[in-house]
Amino acid sequence: MPILLPCLVFLPMLWAPAAYLTGRKSKKARDIVVSAGALVHFALALTLLASVLSTKEAPSFTLDGFCGLGIRFRADGFRALYACVAGLMWSVTGLFNPEYFAHYRNRNRFGFFFLLTLGATCGVFLSDDLYTTFIFFEIMSLTSYPWVAHEETPGALRAAQTYLAVAVIGGMVTLMGLFLLHHALGTLQFEEMRQAARRLADPGSLLLPGVLVLVGFGGKAGMFPLHIWLPKAHPVAPAPASALLSGILTKTGIYGILVLTVYVFRTDTRWGLLILALGCVTMLLGAVLALFSVDLKRTLACSSMSQIGFILIGAACQSLLGEESSLAAQGTILHMLNHSLFKLGLFLCAGTVYMNLHQLNLNDIRGWGRKKPFLAVCFLLPALGISGIPLWSGFLSKSLLHEGLLEYIGLGAEGAGFSSVVEKVFIVTGGLTLTYMTKLFVALFVEKHPTRQKEFDRKTPYLSPVGRLLLLLPALLVTVPGVLPALTARPLSYAALPFMDAVPHDVDYFSLENLLGAFKSVLVALFCYPVVVRGLLMAPDMEKHGKKKAAPRVYVNRWFRRFDMEDTLYRPLIHGLLTGLGLLAQGLDRLLEGLMLPLGLLAGADLARGLDQLLERFLLPAGQSVLTALAKVLDGFTEKALKPAALHLGTFTGRVMDSSVDAMTLGLRRTLFRAKKPRPVPTVGNRLTFAVGSFLDRICAFLNRTVFKRRPIRTRFVSVLAALAEDAEENSRHFARTISFSLLVFALGFLALLFLVLR
Amino acid sequence: MFFLVLTVLFPALAALLLRLLKEKAASHRTVCAVTGLSLLAECAFCLIACTGEDAAWTFLSIGADLPLVLSLDPLSRFFAPFFTLMWTVPVLYSFHYMESEGHERRYYVFYLLTLSALNALAFSGTLVTLYLFFELMTLLSVALVLHEMTREAIAAGIKYLLYSIAGATMGLLGIFFLAANTSSPLFTAGGSLRQDALTVSPQALLVILFITLLGFGTKAGLFPMHAWLPTAHPIAPAPASAVLSGVITKAGVLCILRILYYVVGPDFLRGTWAQYALCGVALATVFMGSMMAFKTDLFKKRLAYSTVSQVSYVLLGVFLLHPTALTGSMMHIVFHSAIKTCLFLAAGGIIHQTGKTKVSQLEGIGKQMPVTLWCFTLASVGLIGIPPTGGFISKWNLAQGALDSGLQVIPYLAPAVLLLSALLTAGYLLDVTIHGFFPGRDFDYASLKKTECPALMLVPMILCVLFTFLGGMFPSPLQSFFEGIVRGLF
Repeated sequence: MPILLPCLVFLPMLWAPAAYLTGRKSKKARDIVVSAGALVHFALALTLLASVLSTKEAPSFTLDGFCGLGIRFRADGFRALYACVAGLMWSVTGLFNPEYFAHYRNRNRFGFFFLLTLGATCGVFLSDDLYTTFIFFEIMSLTSYPWVAHEETPGALRAAQTYLAVAVIGGMVTLMGLFLLHHALGTLQFEEMRQAARRLADPGSLLLPGVLVLVGFGGKAGMFPLHIWLPKAHPVAPAPASALLSGILTKTGIYGILVLTVYVFRTDTRWGLLILALGCVTMLLGAVLALFSVDLKRTLACSSMSQIGFILIGAACQSLLGEESSLAAQGTILHMLNHSLFKLGLFLCAGTVYMNLHQLNLNDIRGWGRKKPFLAVCFLLPALGISGIPLWSGFLSKSLLHEGLLEYIGLGAEGAGFSSVVEKVFIVTGGLTLTYMTKLFVALFVEKHPTRQKEFDRKTPYLSPVGRLLLLLPALLVTVPGVLPALTARPLSYAALPFMDAVPHDVDYFSLENLLGAFKSVLVALFCYPVVVRGLLMAPDMEKHGKKKAAPRVYVNRWFRRFDMEDTLYRPLIHGLLTGLGLLAQGLDRLLEGLMLPLGLLAGADLARGLDQLLERFLLPAGQSVLTALAKVLDGFTEKALKPAALHLGTFTGRVMDSSVDAMTLGLRRTLFRAKKPRPVPTVGNRLTFAVGSFLDRICAFLNRTVFKRRPIRTRFVSVLAALAEDAEENSRHFARTISFSLLVFALGFLALLFLVLR
Repeated sequence: MFFLVLTVLFPALAALLLRLLKEKAASHRTVCAVTGLSLLAECAFCLIACTGEDAAWTFLSIGADLPLVLSLDPLSRFFAPFFTLMWTVPVLYSFHYMESEGHERRYYVFYLLTLSALNALAFSGTLVTLYLFFELMTLLSVALVLHEMTREAIAAGIKYLLYSIAGATMGLLGIFFLAANTSSPLFTAGGSLRQDALTVSPQALLVILFITLLGFGTKAGLFPMHAWLPTAHPIAPAPASAVLSGVITKAGVLCILRILYYVVGPDFLRGTWAQYALCGVALATVFMGSMMAFKTDLFKKRLAYSTVSQVSYVLLGVFLLHPTALTGSMMHIVFHSAIKTCLFLAAGGIIHQTGKTKVSQLEGIGKQMPVTLWCFTLASVGLIGIPPTGGFISKWNLAQGALDSGLQVIPYLAPAVLLLSALLTAGYLLDVTIHGFFPGRDFDYASLKKTECPALMLVPMILCVLFTFLGGMFPSPLQSFFEGIVRGLF
């Protein structure tokens, strides 16, 4: 079975170009190829899950040397399960795509990136070391960008920009964290990291790398304060893309956070409390934002954020509770799974609305769902699930998370007081979830539209049979486990526990305590819905109907503009930073030329003229002179000043060189080229001169003895030749020392030649 | 040895042949054929030469202490084929591009001559030889900048020349002093500095070394001598910009490598203020280059600033004096070269086909020239350093080397600056992609004209992209090759 692992990752990636190329020939065929790619993936993932569940083994696959450190995949229960969820979600949205995108442009592009992202997402979920996780995480971030930008409206492009910025900045910060983590631990493989972290003398040194890594993963998960892209991107992305972004791409972030928590910070309370605090803020803020939103998909997006907060609390419990975290671990796994399915169902419903109306504002779509009982059921079931109502799957996971939290409070350890506050927030947020889901349901399926209700009630087909099936599927998948937890949720969560390093622990899902928790949440909702939603968040429509008292009440957006962290904090911050850094860079860029400028100006004139100029400037009115000087300096920073500067510099250099050649010659003579002490006249040259010399000497001797008896030749050829050789050597040494200068001259000559040739 | 000399001389001979052709015989086809075939042959010669044993050949000795030597050692075994290959790939593109630029023959003559000088530089065995061919290469490559002979081109050429000569003079200073203080004029792996018998104080030598390296850094666009680069590179015709940015800058890196690791030796510099200063300068350049690129609207100038930044990644790895970082550096030499070649070719293609020179004019360019912009985008991803591309691998090695280097501050500062620069890189490159592929709802699809580059221009880009990705996915052969070179140096 190990071969299934790379197949799940790389098959969709290879399938993507095929889909794109098919799309250039035929649109129908393209739709079939894309859906088939997702379905094949789902089938393979199911096979993998079945084999993992039946054999209780975790197949692994390693590709050594890939991307340097090699990549490792491993499919234990949790990872196989999530590969399966990915397959399911992509199959459902893939089948839904043709209907949704019927009137869109650039569908080939969407199909291509749709499949590419599937492979990358699976790569994240199956990864067995953070290096692999990171590689596929980055690919996924980039390939999902075109989803958000797909509509190409200004809003979509801006949201996509935010999405990309969070992804790229987060990715780079994570990479920095990984550098440090790898440096500290020597490995990024999960199991080895756990052992290395245990051996580490100072576990506190891991906190900084951990937090850096958290930035990227947290950003993707939509964790506060990096959630900014989430409420912007979802409303503008096509609904199938929103479903995937919200349902499964955010979970890749959670996956990274879980890995950190379970394998690196297993017993680090500080880490646990950090995640707990961030989770708590994310949970509450998401719910409040969702409550205030008047846009169907934005509400769902903010709700995603809130649910991610719930999951983060579960993750925090992993490191707070250490080995005792079974309940929270089960809760985390189940809530991840459930949330994926809730959002699949809900976003497809929202997609159906948008597909027919091309509007998402609650006031515009009001009443559209009346007399559409099928859609109402498909919306209601996941809505009840996400609100944690008993008999739906959300209840199970939220109860488990709640119990995990209570367990930690029960321990009375560090931060227990804070945790009990978190517990209260947990209950309240549960209530808020029910409140905003009620708000959506009432707006869509109960209220009447003030003007278009008749048009809405007309019996026109709004969804194809295939679409209906697709909508029904997630609705059923969240209901069945809620009713029969022992048959479905329990075995699945038990199978996934090894990843969380926890042991199965039996639990009574429908205990009195759990039911009481759900009841408290319902109470909160019963209070909030009439008071907050109907009271505070609705007002008579003054614009259309004047100040009449009978004006129908509409949903109003009471959220403060100022509270948008992106517009008030991040964008100005980044903008400011860029401006500041840009000035710094510009300064550096022009530094040398800026420094040379005054030099060149002074040197351009000779001293007297320079003095004259100076005097002249002083004679001018003071203010004017300052202004001129300022202007000059400013000018100097522009490219225009470059040429005069270069010219002046040239003149200056010329003059300096002119007068300094003598000085240089003198200096060189004193230093490098200083004349050596006269050597004693050599008596012996090198071998050659000696040989030739002595040979000649012998001939001379012979001649002296025979021919030149009277006037013998007295020349000693050995020493004459030796002296000659010495001279030659001396010359060549001089030559060598001046070679560089001749090279310069050569350079200038060559330049002249070049100009001649080029002209 | 024969092939080594042939590798050096052959392009020059080919250039001579090209020059000697009669005006009538020198048609577009003939010129391209001669250039193309001789470059192919050159590749073969170079590869054959590099399979030989280590060797050194003194071809001219100016006195006993200044031999001019061509030698084959592990580093030249990397640089010579690298120069030759990266010189050959863009030439396919220029066959089409230069036809419309004019003066084709002149361009190819200097193109081939420069390659000769580059290969000689790679095979240089002593400092003087290195300096000789370095100057030669500078002078020959001026012709590539000057090609268009407009006012701007001449101004840029002069600026290039001024900076280069200033840099080389700074380099020459060091050569004087180093020649006096080494035990052998030949390059020796690990350095041959006579540390116990220096003629100047070590501090003074450090100052000189710092100036020397800054001087040779001019060619690599090292701050504060980088300003010629954003002026000269964009002025040249696109294929020439590609090799200027992708290859010629690496010649500066080669010189620095030779001085630092083959003459002085890393131990002399390790932990001194000079090392910190050099790392600091490199980091400043990394940051400044990408920030300026981010602020620049002219397309090719943006890419030139990006080169300033990226080559300093390489130099940072060199200055860290750590095996892993140096390996990362060498990887980055190769990958940056491929990526930047692709980026310049794509930019040149866009300018050539549409006449748009500013980034802000490129709305919807992806609809007009999809393949070109795809190549550009994938290369961008590589330059940002997103896996699974080569840029990621080199960055990983650089950062790990920095963390292990045992210096103060730098181990944390360096990766942080690298990543900041990566973010800016994403900012200035993906900007083009995004506007090119996502022009917005109002884009006029009706009047869209396909202006895709011809296949001959696309092939080099695609080759570069393929190399970036395949090299990133399977870096082991390259990495072990570089580790082999690096092992001998420490």
